[in-house]
Amino acid sequence: MSDPVTIIMIEDDEGHARLIERNIRRSGVNNEIIPFTNGTEAVNYLFGRDGSAVERKGQPLLILLDLNLPDMTGIDILKRVKENKYLKSTPVVVLTTTDDSHEIKRCYELGCNVYITKPVNYESFANAIRQLGLFFSVIQVPPASI
Amino acid sequence: MTPVSRRRSTLQILLLSAGFFVLVAVSVASVLLVNKAREDNALVVHTVEVESQVANLLLDVRRAESATRAYLLTSAPQYLSEYQSAAAGLPSALGHLQMMTVDNPVQVANAAKLKAAVEQRLADFALSIERVKHNDTATSIDILRKGTSADALEAIAGIGRDMRTEEDRLLAMRTATADRTQVLASSVTIAGSCMVLALAALSLVLLRQSSRARDEAEARLRDSNVNLETIVDERTADLREANEEIQRFAYIVSHDLRSPLVNIMGFTSELEELRGDIFKRIATLNRTASLAPAMPEDATDVAEPELEGSDKQLSDDFSESLSFIKSSIAKMDRLISAILNLTREGRREFKPERVDLRELIDGIVKTVAHQAVEANATVEVGALPKIVSDRLALEQIFSNLIDNALKYLRNGVPGEISIEGRTKLGFAIFEVTDNGRGIDPKDHQRIFDLFRRAGTQDKPGQGIGLAHVRALVRRLGGTMSVASELHKGSTFTITLPIKWSGKNREKAS
Repeated sequence: MSDPVTIIMIEDDEGHARLIERNIRRSGVNNEIIPFTNGTEAVNYLFGRDGSAVERKGQPLLILLDLNLPDMTGIDILKRVKENKYLKSTPVVVLTTTDDSHEIKRCYELGCNVYITKPVNYESFANAIRQLGLFFSVIQVPPASI
Repeated sequence: MTPVSRRRSTLQILLLSAGFFVLVAVSVASVLLVNKAREDNALVVHTVEVESQVANLLLDVRRAESATRAYLLTSAPQYLSEYQSAAAGLPSALGHLQMMTVDNPVQVANAAKLKAAVEQRLADFALSIERVKHNDTATSIDILRKGTSADALEAIAGIGRDMRTEEDRLLAMRTATADRTQVLASSVTIAGSCMVLALAALSLVLLRQSSRARDEAEARLRDSNVNLETIVDERTADLREANEEIQRFAYIVSHDLRSPLVNIMGFTSELEELRGDIFKRIATLNRTASLAPAMPEDATDVAEPELEGSDKQLSDDFSESLSFIKSSIAKMDRLISAILNLTREGRREFKPERVDLRELIDGIVKTVAHQAVEANATVEVGALPKIVSDRLALEQIFSNLIDNALKYLRNGVPGEISIEGRTKLGFAIFEVTDNGRGIDPKDHQRIFDLFRRAGTQDKPGQGIGLAHVRALVRRLGGTMSVASELHKGSTFTITLPIKWSGKNREKAS
């Protein structure tokens, strides 16, 4: 990735977070990864104290989002991100254990860019994350301020 | 409640029969008493008749006597004819009296005596008249004046008195009897009527009581019916809620179980990688220690180092443990997925639509054609009815059954699978028959349980298929059963309503 895109990882399970990070690194992506283990902290970081996300203006971000968070559902975060004028063009990758088709459909309707189900089979899991890493290295992330 | 009403109805019947008996008894008694009264009256009349007969007789005797006397005095022929008429009536009157009194020995004797006396008197009269005819009036008067003649007269009067007295006695007795009979008859009638009236009143009271009891029971029944419906509705709602709760619970649990599983699997795989690195390093170290140190640093990249002795044992143990962990995780993942799928199925709304089973099953058979060829099996589809049901559910039911039939064939025996259908009384009956390995009768129930399987466990599977099929059949308002013997094949029978409204089971469950 040419631009210093920051990856925001919102994942309550630290094990999952570690596995995701390892596999992203293995695919050769060295961008900064900021991990959050609950929704509130992530929202605070993304939208700032006043909730307008003005602090993130112009910052290229990529959000990795788990749907099952202890304090809120990832869907709420997705909705807020896609409704915010500074963050709406930020790519969101939903990475979760839920493989319910309604849930997937709903996420895409809300503007999620990629939806990945975490497989228990580790090879598939690692594979998926590495592909994601490759994907990260080729996609162009627009500055969040557009 | 029931014994009381039974007692009441028994009482009612008893009352009715008692009333009936009283009526019959009163009627019979009345008839008897009326007959008796008639007889008594007849006897009274008879007595009176006898009395009048006696009186008439005596009167005739007097008439004959006075006619005789008048003739004696005047010799006028008119008195002679009067005497003759009076005398002519007397014997028949006597006979009549004897006949009438034949029932009473006292009167019979009296009548006989009277007859004798009267005849004696008549003979005297006849003699006197004869004398007068021959103008011998003196002799004739003499005859009449004779003591015997006077005695006869006296005797006639006495006997007549006796007979009248006797008859008076009889009359008094018989009148009393007749009065008694009448009093008895009227009192029996009055008593019977009173009893019938009392019984009627009692049965009226009972009737009112029982009708009140029935009204109350009816009201209670209506209340409890209304209650029952509310209760059923409440229970149904509760059950539905509980069912939904269970579905949600199963969904959430299986979902949340998956998260840790991802970690366990992930880090186990990571450990496996590490194991590779560690043992590679151990092997390299061993070799560098034992062989010449001139070995280049990057030798590990060139050739895979060999482990020896105890190190190799250690590495194998390590691998074995890891593989057990991994296979268990994989199994657990499959079970969780199965539960998830089942709950997802349970949450799906069924839509009744017209389905051509023949077409549907032909489609399934086409998709398993490859498997069938591999298993050396043929699938035959007979004529199948069209029914109204949920298409997806039917597809799952039959593809599961056909899959199973193909999966559990007997080794070395070409498989023959047939699907037949017929309709009966608003239901469609489908039979999926195979000539496979069959199922032991003791396992017939077990195979429908979740995660349970039967027979030789040589095929992959979680023991979900039939549980799922049965759940689907039930939701479609049908039933399913199996007939099978070990080594002789199995027949799965599914009965589904021809026109499923989408309600019958949903509402019931």
